[in-house]
Amino acid sequence: MTNQSIRNTILIACALALAVIYLFPLYWMYVTAIKTSSEAFASPPIFIPTHAQWQNFVDVWQSRGMGSYLWNSLYIATLSVIVIAALGSGCAYVLARYRSVWIDVGLFLILMLQVLPSSLMVTPIFVGFSQLGILDYPRLATVLAISAKSMPFFVVLVRATFMSVPMELEEAALVDGNSRMGAFFHIVLPLARNGILVSAILIYMQAFGEFVYSKTFISDAMYQPASVGLNTFMGPNTVEWDKIMAYSSIYVTPILAVFVLLQRKIVSGLTSGALK
Amino acid sequence: MRNRLSTLWDGRGFDIILIGVPLAFLILISGAAILYNVIMSFQEVDMFSLGSIIRPFAGLENYKRILSDPQTWPIFGNTLIFVLGSIIGQFVLGFGLALFFQQKFPGSTYIRGLFLVSWVMPGLVAGAIWNWLLSGDFGVINYILIQLGVIDTQIFWRSNPDFALWSVIIANIWLGTSFNMILLSVGLSAIPQDLYEAAALDGAGPLRRFFTITLPMMRATIGALLSLGLIFTLQQFDLFASITNGGPNNASNVAQYWAWQLSFNEFDFAGGATVSVLMIVIVVVAAAFYVRSTRGEVRG
Amino acid sequence: MKYLSALVCASAIATITLSAPAFAAPVTINLWAVDRPDQPAPQLVDDFNASQDEIHVEYRQIQFADLMSDVMRAYAVGKAPDIYAVDVPFNAMLASKGALLDLTDMAETSDVIHVDDYYAGPIASATWDGELYGIPKATNTIALFYNEDMFKAAGIDTPPATWDELLEDARKLNDPSKEVYGLAFSAQASEQGTFQFLPWVQMAGGSWDKVNGPGGVEALTFWKQILDEGLASPDTISRSQWNSMSTFITGNAAMAISGPWELDRLSKEADFNWKLALLPVEKEGGPRSSAIGDYNWVVFKSTKHPEEAFKVLEYMASQDKDMYQRFGQLPAEKDIEIPSTGDAEMDQALKVFQEQLQYAQPRGPSAEWPKVSKAIQNALQAALTGDATPQEALDQAQSQIDKLVN
Repeated sequence: MTNQSIRNTILIACALALAVIYLFPLYWMYVTAIKTSSEAFASPPIFIPTHAQWQNFVDVWQSRGMGSYLWNSLYIATLSVIVIAALGSGCAYVLARYRSVWIDVGLFLILMLQVLPSSLMVTPIFVGFSQLGILDYPRLATVLAISAKSMPFFVVLVRATFMSVPMELEEAALVDGNSRMGAFFHIVLPLARNGILVSAILIYMQAFGEFVYSKTFISDAMYQPASVGLNTFMGPNTVEWDKIMAYSSIYVTPILAVFVLLQRKIVSGLTSGALK
Repeated sequence: MRNRLSTLWDGRGFDIILIGVPLAFLILISGAAILYNVIMSFQEVDMFSLGSIIRPFAGLENYKRILSDPQTWPIFGNTLIFVLGSIIGQFVLGFGLALFFQQKFPGSTYIRGLFLVSWVMPGLVAGAIWNWLLSGDFGVINYILIQLGVIDTQIFWRSNPDFALWSVIIANIWLGTSFNMILLSVGLSAIPQDLYEAAALDGAGPLRRFFTITLPMMRATIGALLSLGLIFTLQQFDLFASITNGGPNNASNVAQYWAWQLSFNEFDFAGGATVSVLMIVIVVVAAAFYVRSTRGEVRG
Repeated sequence: MKYLSALVCASAIATITLSAPAFAAPVTINLWAVDRPDQPAPQLVDDFNASQDEIHVEYRQIQFADLMSDVMRAYAVGKAPDIYAVDVPFNAMLASKGALLDLTDMAETSDVIHVDDYYAGPIASATWDGELYGIPKATNTIALFYNEDMFKAAGIDTPPATWDELLEDARKLNDPSKEVYGLAFSAQASEQGTFQFLPWVQMAGGSWDKVNGPGGVEALTFWKQILDEGLASPDTISRSQWNSMSTFITGNAAMAISGPWELDRLSKEADFNWKLALLPVEKEGGPRSSAIGDYNWVVFKSTKHPEEAFKVLEYMASQDKDMYQRFGQLPAEKDIEIPSTGDAEMDQALKVFQEQLQYAQPRGPSAEWPKVSKAIQNALQAALTGDATPQEALDQAQSQIDKLVN
């Protein structure tokens, strides 16, 4: 074995060990999905269930019509990310380009507007949306509320990306006769592409699981996202943990798989030098 | 006229549109919601008067009531511990993992991708799983710690006032580590390799390179991360609802959960709004600190 | 002329045919409840809609956690439902705010709903200021489940009838080496904690508005003793009823206090013999008590169709006779005969629950119930974590309760 491959083996072993520890809760989700509802509470804990209830997955998919729920999650998350990226990128760019008291105030405002958890914001937003008639379009209402909630996150992250785009490149473009708008779209934005993508992906994943706004604004089950559907397993005195975990396994696994593949491209793409 | 208009794509106007539209959007939605909370904190609010802005004026009554409540200071103290504990934990673990995965080895990026699981998992599910993991009798954490000989008897994480807050912090660190890791990874890979090579030639050791190159180059990322960490931590709600309910005896209660409890369990909306406003005031101070710190950033 | 009359005739027909659907258009009643698709409310709504065409009921399912907040928000913007299933302790609060329609007169003249048919507890929970503001939807209460196999193994023949016996039996059954606790219950800092605690206070002679007298202190001291001796899991103070009951079903607790909503799961998942007993009384011959749970149907005052709404309630009440067979829930009328389920354990449990219901008392009714309940929860938590003695903790709660109700 070469030195290189010994080093790799050790590193891989360490990485796997770390992943096993970190992913344990994920494992527990899968295992609980095939346990009976009370086996989850057995002492000592059951690591490998003996009476695996595989049909839980099928039951859950069929009985709750998960297809429609997932479609709504996709719809809401996609629209939210589009709104956020469209509005947030330019905002982040301006906040990174200048340094003045006004910029400070702007950044400050954007952060402050995100301080309260959605559970405390939802009532006033509900009242306001209802008076404006936006509640008649429940998914749109949810998209707007999610965008307002997550945009500051996006702006702060993307601003950090714009900070690392050299100012000289933009100035050179301006000298070459580009307008500000042209320089922004043709030079600056492409250079910040990776940072924007990573942030958009993180936002997407969050929006996919958003719960508080969706459940408050969307009363018709036809338009509800999967996070709200999850709640149908929780009654006042009954909580079907096995079903909840089966449901969320179905819900989490595909997104996780997609993003494991995507993030590899994005994060490793950065090293190849777009930003140098 | 032509010059006036052209500013929209080639001058000040361009900047003002880029920042003005999103700011207006945010102020219309989030700003209005926060204002509504501020107004409520000076009013008497009835459970059925939520829809009207005009309600009996209460002056500072709500503030007096909340500030003289014996629960208030311990709860704000818990909030501080929760915020600091979570942010430090997430950041340190996230940075460690980011540095680790920066070592190139086969499969490193795939394995790193798996860590995003905590970011994808719905809050309700993450909360329920941590509730089981931390349970006293059948909890896996106790089981493993006992098997490893670290502890002799079970720790009742959720029910022992000394551990309850920490049990939520542990779960929250788990949740936040991945987002810290991924963003720090992006930041790390943006540092030009030649800087390290040059420093190595000058004889700088790994530790020295970390402090003289890595940290300064990542300043913008770190600043952004810490301020977002603060906000995410303050927004953390699901974990309290599913692990401890703020108990036992408020030992793990924090401002944001308490504000919700006041509003939606006791229907004391004015009290809940008052706690929210106090929270915002405290965060304003903290955020001012962050914004000041961005002045030292270097661009380019 | 002929032509003209034909025209008139045609337009008349057109008018009739066009407007006829408008006359017959059913009145729409919005009904909100927590029931899931397989539970009573949506099923009965479907049956009702199919049975006639004058009233159309729109059902909306709300999550338990949002039961109050959703309806309050809707009310605040003028979109409250016509009919709503309120969690029993909050019925009085809504009534006291003037949000609900007074149903007293309609119930008196109704051919279907007779107030005297119901158990006293549920009706008391729907009554405010001497007027009726709700119709019980179903009812439930709590009693003592026990693991018969463990009882046999420990040589205990009968379930505990008094607190002392409960303590004694729990000591005998408690077996840390096998990870078995004597008893499982919930003292969570939520409405569930209050729900489980008040019966003990009432059995010892206290009440929800007088908790720091001997009755309340005795009850809390008794709970504290169970926890201090390790007869119940320390997680009792942070665990819900459902999660506590899970430990009974997995065989990690020998007795458990919970309600009929567990019967289905028990019969499916418990692989031991179990039985149900009345809650033990404080001393032999002492008063019995229990808690009242479940929902009341209420009608919001803002409804445009009070009579139609009441008709819907009458239909719901008329179906209570099948409540148990169809949905496994206990009807709130005391005289309804429930036929055998064919499962001896279930039948035995049902009989016990029906007997226990006669002693069940509502929480409140009080307009300030959420705050009263919170004060009691705080006292439980303070005493059970050892931050205060039961007396101190309850004195503190009492001073808050006095401010609220007097």
